[in-house]
Order: sequence, then C-alpha cells, then structure tokens
Amino acid sequence: MSSQIDDFSELHDELRAVARDMLAKAGADAALEWRLIARSGWLGLEAPGAFDGADATFAEVAVILREIGRAAARGPYPAVAVLGVGALNLLEPGPGRDRLLRDTVSGAALPVVVLDGEGLEDAAETPFRVTRTPRGPLLHGTAAFVPDAPGADRLLVPALDQDGTTVIVDVDPRAAGLIVTEQPVVDATRCFGRVVADAVGAEAVLRFAGDPQHALQCLRERAAVAVACDSLGLSETMLDATVAYAGVREQFGRKIGSFQAVKHACADMLVRVTVARKLVEAAVRSQAGDEPDAAVAAAMAKSYTCAAAVDITGKAMQLHGGMGYTWESGVHVYLKRAALNRSLFGSPALHRRRLAERYSPR
Amino acid sequence: MTKDLDEFRVSVREWCATHVPKDWRQAQTGVPEEEFVRFQKAWFQELRGAGFAVPHWPKEWGGGMTVAEQIVLYSELAAHDAPRLVLAFVSIHHAASTLLSAGTDEQRRRHLPAILDGEIWVQGFSEPDAGSDLAALKTTARKEGDAYVVNGQKLWASGAMHADWCLLLARTDPDAPKRRGISYFLLDMATPGIDVRPVRQATGESHFCEIFLNDVVIPADQLVGPENAGWRVAQETLGAERGMTMLELAERLGNGGFRWLVELCARPGPGGTRPLDDPLVTDRLAALETEVTGLRALCAELVANDRQGPADASIVKLYYSELLQRMTDFGAEVAGLAAHTELRKPASSGWESGAWVLDFIGSWEWTIPGGTSEIQRTIIGERGLGLPREPAGV
Repeated sequence: MSSQIDDFSELHDELRAVARDMLAKAGADAALEWRLIARSGWLGLEAPGAFDGADATFAEVAVILREIGRAAARGPYPAVAVLGVGALNLLEPGPGRDRLLRDTVSGAALPVVVLDGEGLEDAAETPFRVTRTPRGPLLHGTAAFVPDAPGADRLLVPALDQDGTTVIVDVDPRAAGLIVTEQPVVDATRCFGRVVADAVGAEAVLRFAGDPQHALQCLRERAAVAVACDSLGLSETMLDATVAYAGVREQFGRKIGSFQAVKHACADMLVRVTVARKLVEAAVRSQAGDEPDAAVAAAMAKSYTCAAAVDITGKAMQLHGGMGYTWESGVHVYLKRAALNRSLFGSPALHRRRLAERYSPR
Repeated sequence: MTKDLDEFRVSVREWCATHVPKDWRQAQTGVPEEEFVRFQKAWFQELRGAGFAVPHWPKEWGGGMTVAEQIVLYSELAAHDAPRLVLAFVSIHHAASTLLSAGTDEQRRRHLPAILDGEIWVQGFSEPDAGSDLAALKTTARKEGDAYVVNGQKLWASGAMHADWCLLLARTDPDAPKRRGISYFLLDMATPGIDVRPVRQATGESHFCEIFLNDVVIPADQLVGPENAGWRVAQETLGAERGMTMLELAERLGNGGFRWLVELCARPGPGGTRPLDDPLVTDRLAALETEVTGLRALCAELVANDRQGPADASIVKLYYSELLQRMTDFGAEVAGLAAHTELRKPASSGWESGAWVLDFIGSWEWTIPGGTSEIQRTIIGERGLGLPREPAGV
C-alpha cells in the first residue's frame, strides 16, 4: 500500500515540476497554448484509457490546478478539466458523449459546463429548463459568471427536463436564441460570461448515469474544491515572495524580516497556509474517492482556503510596502484573484451555512 | 487495515461504556487535592489495565499503538467524555520521551516502569528571570565529588506539590555562553533542601508552583546526556514530544470541546431562542469546526511524519493554543451570564470543560507557557521560513 502512495507522490512531483516549468515559460500575460496542454495529457487525466485518457483521478488534476494558482495563470483549463471532463464522466455512455469526451481529451473540443459562478443555495438546483416541442427539445434560462463561457465551442448546460429529471443539454454557442456575453472583471487573469438561452435548439440531451441531483452536486463540489486548490497555490506563491523580499529588503540598517512585526506576520501566513493545505488535501482525496464526506470536506476547504488567501495576499501587499502597491510588482494580480476566488462558486458564508445545516438535524 | 481499526474502535467504545466513571464531573468538582490525586491515580491504573495509558510508548515499555490506533483511542475517550490524565501528563509525555531519547538504560529501567505504577513528574525549567528567555536560567549545579549541589528557584512547575521527581535544568558552567553551560538532571523531590509553594493562577486554581532549591544534592548519575548539553537535550526531546501531546488534545477539541459547543448552542437561551437559530452563531460554529478539522489533520501528520520540519511543532502549538482561545471565547460569549456562575471546573477535565468562562480564562495557560505565542512565531519565522534572526540581545 505504501509503495502505491509513493508511486502517486512521485507522479505528483513530476506533474508539478512539468506544470511549473511550462507555466513559467508561458509568462504571466498569456495562457498556455491549448495544443500544448492537450499534448501534456492534462485534459485526459481523469478520462478512461479507452478515450485516450490517463485513468488517473481528481488528485492529479488538483496538482495542476494548484500550479495554475501559483502562476495566477490564464486560460480555460480549470473549466474544461474540472467541469467539462467531470460532467462527461458522469453521463451515460453513448456515441455523442463518447465523441465529445475523446475530442475534449485530444484538445479538439473545448466544452464548458454552464454553472452559475455565484454558487446557489441549493447545490442540486439549476436555472435552466427544457421544454419538449414538435421542433425538438428547447432550452431556456440564464446563468451569470460562467467561467470561460466566452471561449467555449460547446456548452454543456445542466437543465431540468420537462419530466423533472436533471439532464445535460449540449448546445452550440452560436445557436439561434443563445447569447453569451463576456463579463469583464477586476481580476484580469479570468474570463466569465453570462449565458442567456431563449428557446435554443439542443444538439443533444444527455442523461446522467447515476442520480442526476447527486451528479450536479458533485459538479459543484468539484468546482468549489478546484477554486480552493487555486487559492492554495496563489497563497503559497505570495508567502514565498514575501519571505524572499523580507530577507533582502533593508530598513533602519536591518533586513525587514528580522523585525518581529514582519516575522510574526509571515509566521501567521505559514500557519494558515499549512492548515489550508491539510483541508484541501482532505477535500481532494474525498473528491477523488467519491467519499461520503466529500461535501463536508469541500465546504471546509473552500471556505477556509479562499478566505485565508485574501488575508495572505493582502498581508503580502502590506509587507512588500510601497513596492507591493505598484502595478509592476504584480502582487495586485494575486490579491484580485484571491478576492475573486473567495466569491466564486459560493462565498465562505454560504459554505459554512452548508456545514451548519448538520448542527440541527431536521 | 481499516477493518482492524473499526474493530479496535468498537472495542474502545465497549470499554468506555463500562469503565468511564458515571457522573465523575459532578463528583470531581470542588474536591480537595488529595481526592483529585487519588482519582487520577485510580483512573491511570484503569487505563493501564486496558493498555490505554501510554499508547505512544515503544512496545517493549508497554505501548506500541500505531498513530491511527492512537487517534481512534483518543477520539473515543473524548467522545465518551473520559477524564484526562492531567496528573501524569508530564510523566508519560515529557519525562518518558526524555528518558527514551537521552536517558541511560539504568535511568529507563528505574523510571519507566515506576511511571506506570504511578510515579509523578514535574518540569523544573522556567525561573522568575528566565521565561521566554529560558536559556538565561540562573539555578546553579556545582560539581562536588560524585554529586552536584543545586541552588536556585524554579517557577511555573505544574503539579510540583504532587511530584515524586523533577526534570531539572540547571547551570553547570557559569562562564560558557548561556546555552552551552546548562545541564539536564533527574531530581528526586524527596531530597532535603526542596521547598514547594503553590502559586494561585488566574483561574483561581493553584497547580502551578514555585520550587526553591537550597543546597540540594543530586548524585552525578542523575545527569541526562553529557554535562553542559542540557539545552540540546531539552530542545530535542521537547520538540519531538509536542506532536504526541497534541494528538490527544486535538481529538479532545474535536470530539469534546466542539461537540459541547454545538450542544450549548442547541439549548434555548434566556429569551427562549436557541443560539443555533442565529446565522451569525452557526457561521462561527462552522468556521471553528473547519479549523478543528484542520488541526486534527495537522497533528496526525506531525506524529506520523518521521521527517518533521524545523518549525512543525511550533506551528501546531501556536495554532492549537489560539484555536482553543477562540473556541472558549466563543463558548463564553454564547453561554452568557449563566457561564459566569460556574465558579469551578471539574478537576480531571480537559482544557475545554464546558465551564466556558473558566475555560476561556484558562486558555492563556496555553498561549503563554511552553514558549509564548510570540516565541513560537519567532521560531516559525526564523527556523520554518528562514527569515533573518533578531539582532542578538545583550
């Protein structure tokens, strides 16, 4: 058993090193080329071997997500690998689904799942409906802050079918009646879209293999844990950068890191990062294993890590002093990303409300 | 593996159901010291009989549980509200770990079985002028033939009035740099020249003591490690020790403290409403549960990991202390005025006894001793993050 763990940790180390290197080469202002991502096998990590995937788990995807957070990287990888592949894996096999999964793994298709980034009070709800008409199934509804919707070439929309089942509707973003509007945000590394569907004809209506409500909940949990991974990564970078800066910057004839006020603030950052790391590890593990406590672990990881990341990046800006407040330093990029992550797929308060539901069993 | 653990959990549960004394909280509230000592020693023997007293010791000395088993044991003891081993805490943790890692065979054979039979230890480290700056300690041990003659004063020696033996740090070379002139001794508390006086603490209890040492003679074979290497011995043994003690305390906090906090919030308050109906209350509860979950994972990792980082123990100590303080603070706030009428907490209870106001006051016993939170942050900054050291003091 321990050798298996060693195998995985070696695999993770390798993935991490490759990802860090590739993201560094891409630079801060550009997204990694999609072909390069596909060729690295990152899109198929969770896909079965029969679809040219790696038969790995969410734990391996999480390694990449954390590196993307560290680099504050752009691009739709989280949307496609976490939600796109995640949704396709949850669907009943069939020619349409199988083709799309294979095309996603190869990088030929870029499917985005239309989940509202606000995070809904009821994780099994969706704002979209399907009506059955003589013209075929039609999709109606609106979602805001859908990650990477503007760049998608396929939209997978969770919707309530006329018979009350939750399904995934596969639509072409250019279909009549469908409008995707980009929603510019302060965090320039991210891309969001508002998706409005007014009687849009579906390419296909796909069914979940298991309980559809549970499947939708799982997708939202994956989305939340993925954001927590991103916030963990960016917190780690900011701690590293702050410690490095405090070790060279001098004032009053001393390295500023030798002042207790600075040193203790860094120590607090490390304590929070350490706790966040444990919570994220637990949440990733339970997602990868589809464990019964996955929802609890996801709520804990998301609420703690994303709140901590804002404090940590804010403290990083503070400890970098005037330099940290400049555009050039880049600390602001992390602070903005951390603040956005905190609100994305459920605020800390929303996730804590979910935890608290367990205190008063009905 | 998991199946064995499940079976073990069931056996601990069954044991707890029949062995945890009923109503011990009430019976142990406001009792005289002698009754507390009697109760603690009897409970220790109960646990020992089941193999639960020193699970973290090596097998050959009566322990040998895996970390996973220890977590199960501690979580079940906490869930069944078993009394804690308060009196034997230093004996089974600090004394044992010092003897195991730095003691002679003779010292181990003499003391480890005796600890199982109820020998009580106290730590004699701090002094009036050596708190955070522990290495500045002034108590001297002067070599005279085959013995050392000790003079000085120790402070904050928890439980010294009940102790049979003392882990003592004393200065053997007054001319050496302060950390290089200290030696580590085992001191028999029955030796002539020792005077123990209790100090009353903020909670009203008096388990901290002053120890006055006046020409106290310690045989040379009671030295632990080489002469003048006491600082290193103390650092090494106590750092490794931290994780072991924290494993139990973290499980207590999760399965005892937090659970009671939820129960407290589920009881209707003076106005008839339950604190649980207030979203501000449930939000803070959920934040605390998340933090406790993180702490438990952190402690399990610290104990299971043989390659500890240089500041891991400090991270856990700091985080536990301040989390305990936040949690008891919240308990006191929610419990309201009624909690202020609880003037005593049950002896033998944990740091979170459910007497929230006293628990809150008592939480400073974690943020101050054993290296204050400020000292821990400095250690984390310098050893954990490699930040520049403070300019040396004079």
